[in-house]
Amino acid sequence: MKAVNLIPSEQRSGTVSPAGESNGAAYIVLGVLAGAAVLALLYGVARHQVSSRTAEVTKVTAEAQVTQARASQLAPYVSFQATYQQRLQAVSQLAGTRFDWAHAFHELGRVLPKDAAISSVHGTIGSATGASSSSSSAAAASASTSVTSATPPGAVPSFALSGCATSQSEVAQTLQRLRLIDGVSAVSLQSSTKSTGASSSGGCPPKAPAFAVTVSFSPLPTPPAPSPSVQSAADTSAGASSAPASTSTSPASTAPAAGKGAQ
Amino acid sequence: MTNRDRLVLMGVIALAILAGGWMLGVSPEREKAAKLQTEVAGAQQQLSKAQQQLNEAQGDQARYSAAYAAIVRLGKAVPADQEVPSLVYELDQVSNRRDVEFNSISTSASASSSSGAGAAAALTSAGFAQMPFTFVFNGSFVDLYRLLSQVQGFTVQTGAGAVQVSGRLLTIQGVNLELPSGGGAGEVASSSGGGGEGPNAKSAGGSSSRASSAKSNPENAQLKGTITATAYVLPPGQGLTGGASPAGPAGSAAAPASGPSASSPSTAPAAVIKVTP
Repeated sequence: MKAVNLIPSEQRSGTVSPAGESNGAAYIVLGVLAGAAVLALLYGVARHQVSSRTAEVTKVTAEAQVTQARASQLAPYVSFQATYQQRLQAVSQLAGTRFDWAHAFHELGRVLPKDAAISSVHGTIGSATGASSSSSSAAAASASTSVTSATPPGAVPSFALSGCATSQSEVAQTLQRLRLIDGVSAVSLQSSTKSTGASSSGGCPPKAPAFAVTVSFSPLPTPPAPSPSVQSAADTSAGASSAPASTSTSPASTAPAAGKGAQ
Repeated sequence: MTNRDRLVLMGVIALAILAGGWMLGVSPEREKAAKLQTEVAGAQQQLSKAQQQLNEAQGDQARYSAAYAAIVRLGKAVPADQEVPSLVYELDQVSNRRDVEFNSISTSASASSSSGAGAAAALTSAGFAQMPFTFVFNGSFVDLYRLLSQVQGFTVQTGAGAVQVSGRLLTIQGVNLELPSGGGAGEVASSSGGGGEGPNAKSAGGSSSRASSAKSNPENAQLKGTITATAYVLPPGQGLTGGASPAGPAGSAAAPASGPSASSPSTAPAAVIKVTP
């Protein structure tokens, strides 16, 4: 019986090529197809992103325009609020940087010795000092909306006192006591003249020294930085009769004048 | 051409096809998507900004009533026009409360005035106009310094930058206290000394030991107080409320049609702040 070789004749050599009959071309085709599929996927994703983002840009832009239009309609309210804040800041600045005359006179009456009497007081506010004006320049520059006060920051209040005492030592005591006044920076004696004989000096009784003293106070403060708080909108009024009905939201405030314990 | 050469050629062609597809199809779309992403971010930023503006504007709209009332009240401190009658009225009222005689008022600036302005209001560099006045009051030392406190208390700054307004804003630049001419000897101010009492206190024992020229109760000596002060006025053309009404600011949909009174400095709200007796 003759043996029959069932192996195909092209494979009888024993070296079967993994590339098959196409010698690997099929793999290349498969690779191309796979690459094309990946490219198609990436292209689709990119197209989807383009379309969705285009729609989003359109939507967001339209929404922003609508919002801006609504904000523009309310622009007068913004402008009014800005005007109010500016005016409030200006008034607050003017009110807060004044010299507390009442407190100074209260202090003058408090410290004066019993054996000294004042016959006249001339209180003035001088020009701004150099050091104080330079220190206040930063604050003044920052507050571009500030108003010019009749008593600018850095101005030095002073009292020119003239009076009588029972003796020269009482004049010295007066000078010492005047230094105790709140906010005093310097006390300088101009003169202290004791009358001779029966004649009086400066309206003082005989043998009573008449003195003249200058009391200088600390320079007026620089205005504080504007408060960003909208709480300042709570502008209050003591006169209820003068307040309009819509101002009932304003809180009450009972701070003393100039915040220095004025009576 | 061998079999191997054909395979290499096919591979190169395949790669070229894929690279072409990437460069011509996918890459431009991806760049476009990235660019659109940037546009989306910009638009969202713009939207966020617009929403912030809208929120602020809505907040300002919600606070409008309070701001309107407050700005009207601020007009009591710094009115749109000179409002001298109301100032005189306020000073007279406060002097009556303090048992002080309101002797005179003049609009001429004194030598110590730092404004340098004359009788008319002078426009300052920042807007408010200054009006210098000189007031003369007669009263005791205690009454006069309490009067000063009340005059400065017309408008005071409270905490947190708030302002309490009950009258005209006045900046006092100078105060002269002296015995009136022909008043004889006396004292402007004296105290009981080391007892720690202020001028409010009665000093029964102190008066006997004072300078012999003093009156028996110098605290009651009538003095002439000359006060140099400056009032402030809004600049010309800037109305108290800028044409706003209680319904809304000028130019808003809520505001009424602007009439002659809406832009006038002495608008209707000014009447709201008049001091009532």
